Amino acid sequence: MGDEKIRILLVCSAGMSTSLLMEKMQHSAQDRGINAEVMAMSSTEADKFLKKEHVDVLLLGPQVRYMKKKYEKALAKTDIPLAVIDMKDYGKMNGEKVLDAALQLVNAGK
Amino acid sequence: MSNLEEPQTMDVVMELIVHSGNAKSIGMEALDASKQGDFLLARQKLEEADQELLVAHQAQTSLLKQEASGQTIFVSLLMVHGQDHLMNAITFLDLARELVEVYQNMKLAAKG
Repeated sequence: MGDEKIRILLVCSAGMSTSLLMEKMQHSAQDRGINAEVMAMSSTEADKFLKKEHVDVLLLGPQVRYMKKKYEKALAKTDIPLAVIDMKDYGKMNGEKVLDAALQLVNAGK
Repeated sequence: MSNLEEPQTMDVVMELIVHSGNAKSIGMEALDASKQGDFLLARQKLEEADQELLVAHQAQTSLLKQEASGQTIFVSLLMVHGQDHLMNAITFLDLARELVEVYQNMKLAAKG
């Protein structure tokens, strides 16, 4: 992966619970010496953001699973992998595991 | 230390958020199904959504019980947000049920 920073975008309805997860993931990345930037946004913010900025992976909170179709369409022309965060990991705010899942998606696309 | 940092309260709030969100997501799938004319699937999805709502409701009830028994519950913004998700899911599913019926009536009317 080199020294390039991996940008992970978390999306939920208000960007609130994902921002808690963001903190945990960021910590986990720091602890493991992974150069990653984790961001959390509401879906409206994310729509705007994705028009201008590149991310390496987009993860949806399980509570907004219904947005998956919308993002599949929006990302169809990009190579940005998309997934819904595991419900259990989300419920437990397991930053470690969600970070693993994100990295796996990024690596799979390479 | 605030109660929010106590893993137990945090877990309950996350239960509220995740299961309410699930209920809404499945409700959305019910609407998708009825848009495609698959009303059997739509009704299955509505039932599934109700089950999720029930789980969320149980989380909510456990908090209410705790408070009723004299334990003060620290109301954080995240807690309010969890309540918001629950309310939203309830309202959404009420309307989704109505809409499924509307779709079904529309289909019947188009046939007749």
